[in-house]
Amino acid sequence: MKLSELRQSTASEILDLFGADESKISLAEELVKKGLPSKKSEEYRYADIESALSLELEFLKQSMDDIEPCDKLIITDGVVTHAPESVSVRYTSAIDRDMKHFDPLYYLGHIASEFVLALEPRGDESLKIVHRLTKIKTLIAYRVALFIAPNTQVNIYESFDDCSADGSLVLCGYDAFVDRDATLKLIKNQTLDSQNYRMIASHRFKIEKSATIDLATFDFGSASSLQTMKVELGERAHLEASHLLYASGSAKRGTVSKILHIGEHSTSNQQAKSILADKARGIFDALIKVEHSAKYTKAHQGSKAILLEMGPYMASKPQLEIYIDELEASHGSTTGQLDSKQLFYLRSRGISEVEAKKMLIQAFANELIDKVAGRSIQEQLHISFDKAFYGEARMECIDTCDGCEDALVGDTEEINRLFGFSQ
Amino acid sequence: MSEKRNISRMMDIRELKVKIGDKTILKGLTLELEKGKVHAIMGPNGSGKSTLSKAIVGHYDTEVLDGEIIYRGENIVDKEPEERALDGIFLSFQHPVEVAGVNNAYFLRSAVNAKRRHEGKDELNAAVFLREMKKYVEELGMQPDMISRSLNEGFSGGEKKRNEILQMQMLSPDMIILDEIDSGLDIDALRAVSEGINSMKNGDRSFLVITHYSRILDYIKPDYIHVLKDGKIVHTGGPELVAQLEEEGYESLGEA
Repeated sequence: MKLSELRQSTASEILDLFGADESKISLAEELVKKGLPSKKSEEYRYADIESALSLELEFLKQSMDDIEPCDKLIITDGVVTHAPESVSVRYTSAIDRDMKHFDPLYYLGHIASEFVLALEPRGDESLKIVHRLTKIKTLIAYRVALFIAPNTQVNIYESFDDCSADGSLVLCGYDAFVDRDATLKLIKNQTLDSQNYRMIASHRFKIEKSATIDLATFDFGSASSLQTMKVELGERAHLEASHLLYASGSAKRGTVSKILHIGEHSTSNQQAKSILADKARGIFDALIKVEHSAKYTKAHQGSKAILLEMGPYMASKPQLEIYIDELEASHGSTTGQLDSKQLFYLRSRGISEVEAKKMLIQAFANELIDKVAGRSIQEQLHISFDKAFYGEARMECIDTCDGCEDALVGDTEEINRLFGFSQ
Repeated sequence: MSEKRNISRMMDIRELKVKIGDKTILKGLTLELEKGKVHAIMGPNGSGKSTLSKAIVGHYDTEVLDGEIIYRGENIVDKEPEERALDGIFLSFQHPVEVAGVNNAYFLRSAVNAKRRHEGKDELNAAVFLREMKKYVEELGMQPDMISRSLNEGFSGGEKKRNEILQMQMLSPDMIILDEIDSGLDIDALRAVSEGINSMKNGDRSFLVITHYSRILDYIKPDYIHVLKDGKIVHTGGPELVAQLEEEGYESLGEA
């Protein structure tokens, strides 16, 4: 069926269609109230939602298989197949869903998911989550709930590997609850090409008192997709969010976010960088709302986009909605082309125009990639960007260089760091 | 057009007319630069000194209306900036730009290897390049971390100028243009930069030193002084001309 056919359905009919039980009736009612998104919807007006909802899709019947121990947590078509022993994984339907989320597909994702994957790291943890999507022309819906215990730090690196879900629509996202004094560092690395699946990832992040989320998303490729996120910040909570987008072809891709400052002294910093080629459209539609209760908030937001030619378009809409005076806030947006002075400087040293442009684009991307903690993750991100941008990873193995062994002694790490080589 | 070129000359600029925007800055400038010599260009503000350096390297601000820039026997006015650089022309910028996100070593290795490819040589591998770069960095009295920092980003004025000299030394050009290399330098930096420049003298390489002040010429001894006024060279003389300019100013000099 096509999801667009749900436009005329009642809440009960929607539940019946997805085989969902009555406990989800309020979600279905909220979906009906908001209506399926269309190009006229505020949050989806820049995205390519109509064609996503018009895909002819099979429904997926998910089953809870045994979980094999592994150093990574692997989610295959919405089901956990592998997990480290240090993480508690359970399937549940009893989580605190957000009944005031702005994104209708947040509700649809919950309705269409048979269960919620609840992940609870047992303490400080560095976790790799691998999403595998294998079903073609299928609606793959799954929700992940993350519970970060008080005063712990969890680092998650999320990637999308071995995906062959061509023609599918993936509705997924996190409901993340970061408890007092806890820190969640979440890095997403996703390359999506036009012949692949489409994804609408609808997130809800709740950051309790003195807790922090450090979110970095890296989206590359030529397919249309969207991430929407609602963030609630409690007292002295902090959000650090960065989004790097490289979109090509006819992709319409980006971020729609609402960051709500609810607690006093809460802080947020959201920075988006977009590199757009061909006829791609980048989306950064981001609202920061500072409630009456959020005195002494600090909120900063910025978007920078580079258009590589005349065809692409950046829909950049940073917004502040403020109800108090006692705060510090800023937002800004720039869209342009590569800096001609920088380009000339590189060319004046003998670097070709093509290479100089690549170098500057890489530099623009590096500013966010190199902010990520962890050399190996940085390397993965560099490789993903290179593959998306150049068509291949630009790796060299310095260990095979002849005649330089003496120079290599003690220098290998430095050389890798300086020149971005992978071994 | 067949024409006999003077092989003792590195560069021959003939009747060069250049505009920037709507304004013609160089108005028929003629200048001969000999191989192995240091030529200094002095002149009042707005005379066209920086425009000349920009025109030689093919800066996008400049439009050559007429005239020729003959470099080693070939008119280069239609060449791309990178082609001129690969052929051995190097401009040390008055205000080097900052390029965040491109580390100094990565950039310079790319430039050095582009030149080596152009010359039919093997590229320098990373280790050999780094060893070479560290040697020059030390000689120039640069902080070791400048190797890994973003190109010119957050550099002081002196660090930027030292970085220009570092690039010059590693690229080993034949025709070196120094645009106000002395501006903003304290005495230690000026000495280090000058020593770097002087170390490049080899009897073949030519220098064009563009400056407001005579101070730099105490360190880099010129063979010729050219006075540029209103878009033309109005006087050419030997090193003794510096003292005359210091005493009498540019107004005292008429047509060459």
